[in-house]
Amino acid sequence: MALDFGILLQVLFWGLYAGCIYILLATGLSLIFGVMKIVNFAHGELLMLGAYITATVFVLTGINPYSIIILTMLVLGIIGIAIERLGFRPILGTSKLNEIFLSLGLIYVIQNAAALIWGDERQVLTSPYQTVTIPMGPIQLPVDYIIIIIVTALILVGLTLLLKKTSLGKAIRATSQNRKGAMIVGINVERMDMITFGIGAGLAGAAGTLWVVSGQVFNPYIGSLPAIKAFAIIILGGLGSIPGAIIGGLIYGIAENGAAYFLGGVWKDAISFLILIVVLIFRPTGLFGESGE
Amino acid sequence: MKHTRTVSILLAALLLSALLLAGCTQQQQQAQPQDVKIGAVVSLTGVGSNVGKHMKQSAEMAVSEINAKGGVFVRAYNKKLPITLIVADDETKPDSGVKAVTKLTSEDNVDILVGGWSSAVTVATLGVVAEKKVPYVVTGASTPDVTRKAGVDTSYMFHYCPTTAMYGEYTILFTDHVIRPAINAKFNFTEDRPLRLAILYQDSAYGKGVLNGVVNTINAENLKIEIVSNQSFKTGDADFRTALTAIKAAKPDVIYAAAFPAEQSQIVVQARRDVNLNTIILAVETNDNPDYYKGIARFGEYSILESRFSPFTAAPSSVAAADARFKADYMAKYGSFPDMMGVSTYEGVYVAAQAIENAGTLDKAAVRDALAQLRMPQIVEAIKGGFITFSPDYREVQFELFMTQLIWDEQAGECRPKIVWPDTVKEKDFVLPVWYEPGSAP
Repeated sequence: MALDFGILLQVLFWGLYAGCIYILLATGLSLIFGVMKIVNFAHGELLMLGAYITATVFVLTGINPYSIIILTMLVLGIIGIAIERLGFRPILGTSKLNEIFLSLGLIYVIQNAAALIWGDERQVLTSPYQTVTIPMGPIQLPVDYIIIIIVTALILVGLTLLLKKTSLGKAIRATSQNRKGAMIVGINVERMDMITFGIGAGLAGAAGTLWVVSGQVFNPYIGSLPAIKAFAIIILGGLGSIPGAIIGGLIYGIAENGAAYFLGGVWKDAISFLILIVVLIFRPTGLFGESGE
Repeated sequence: MKHTRTVSILLAALLLSALLLAGCTQQQQQAQPQDVKIGAVVSLTGVGSNVGKHMKQSAEMAVSEINAKGGVFVRAYNKKLPITLIVADDETKPDSGVKAVTKLTSEDNVDILVGGWSSAVTVATLGVVAEKKVPYVVTGASTPDVTRKAGVDTSYMFHYCPTTAMYGEYTILFTDHVIRPAINAKFNFTEDRPLRLAILYQDSAYGKGVLNGVVNTINAENLKIEIVSNQSFKTGDADFRTALTAIKAAKPDVIYAAAFPAEQSQIVVQARRDVNLNTIILAVETNDNPDYYKGIARFGEYSILESRFSPFTAAPSSVAAADARFKADYMAKYGSFPDMMGVSTYEGVYVAAQAIENAGTLDKAAVRDALAQLRMPQIVEAIKGGFITFSPDYREVQFELFMTQLIWDEQAGECRPKIVWPDTVKEKDFVLPVWYEPGSAP
């Protein structure tokens, strides 16, 4: 296969785009794990809900689908808070098995609720910029994907500022680093749990919006595979590490597309897990993880 | 004491009579079924749900038409029996397909099965069908394995749709006879320049079947076609950009994709919009589905779709009136256009009913034999020779196929198919669009 620079650039770009969806999903998951130390297997279903909310608002109002991302994040934030308050909080600190089975149960509840509301046929949304491309060197880049990369970067910058520069962010980080210590200094850790879960769900909602706007097919069952990959990404990056989730997401996006190009499409999903296995052999705590996490 | 004994004897006699009567009634019930049970195996969820919906609705339409005329005449009972349709969702997954067929044959005790769309799912059910010995009229799954798989008894399987080998061959012959000369003429290429073909196929029995059909045809016919790229993808994938980028690097003249409608529409859109592949994309007949035309938007303009029944056009034939009537009835009943797999399933129900009527019994072995000897007039789709018959070797039906080119229709706001091959039924000539770029110079 000829190694043309333009082609390689294009494959890299598809990897960046795919990485954006993974980053948003994995960052939310990592944030929740960092603070609450719970594993929410139903995180992909929040992406799916984000996709449907975006599509529904777009079809009903006809407004620019990118502007719906804020509404989607807010709605998913509220849904996330409800899940934390009604689902995870009552069982927090009991058995890990309870948390696992609760989140597994949530997968089916959310999927079936979505199927009841929206039906389970595969749907596609058409972006208003579907036909617009921008020449960039030897390749034509669809403007939708450029917007997606910019929007993801903006969300990550916003999240970083929130966590680093605000008292709320500092409280979240404190809870993540030492829950008991945070309680001693007067931080309401249960409130931090609730807010963190809301932020994580909001990020999954944003991933859902970008999923839909990029023209990807969606139905109530799309969340499972991205969620599995998001788990692999946070393990690869280091459990609870936001930079790890970002770097891991990028690695996965680019590796998947590189594998599809050089090895064939059937290797696309497998390569991610091969990378995970290799990293865990040499660095069991992940790329950015600390021992003991 | 004597009185008690008499009462006991009377009670025992009464109980025995009741048991005998119950047995007789049961025997009579077994001998006199109230209906003909047809099991429809369709994909109502999963990647095939948009096709499965049409298959289910079309089967229901056929059943209601037959029942409106009193049902199926069964000679053994000397009366017409209404059809009861029992639908099972195979979820477009092999394991769920096995569950669906097991339920239909074991719990519902259907007399005959109709449907089956995904090749992988249908092949997975072969073992159950062989064990239960229930005749199965397959109306969607196109891998030849449906009736030819070695190591399993497929004698109860009847293939009522073209196989991947059949339409793979047909599409490649069209490419060689029509597209290759058009490219050579437009770009002043020499006659002996091989056409550069890229294949993007689903990594499944269906996709591999199409690939085999293409390769076998090129070799058997000694065609001047070179396969320059050969990419596969997993069932249900939605992102084909990298595979298409690899295809673009191979500089193809045409791309033949073997995908399901939800996948194929993404392939067309991503190829034209994202990867800037200014080439002709050929699609398999299963995509002749209203949702596909919607999904490809304007990006599908000038692409090619192999077909035997289209919601938006019809080849002139002796069944043209039946075709129009079916579409009108379907639209009136469901408010939407039908699709190809739907019409096959509609006909599959009629085929099943006719086989039972010919057998004169619901005995499954007799119905199987009646299917093997069936000869009934074509219904909606044009069949070679005008009669539906299953071939004696592999129980396959020979359909009349045609190739369509999709042209943008301003009024519909979607592409619409125009038949371009064979010449006997074509509506217009195949055209290379102005934006078309050949893979490479000679």
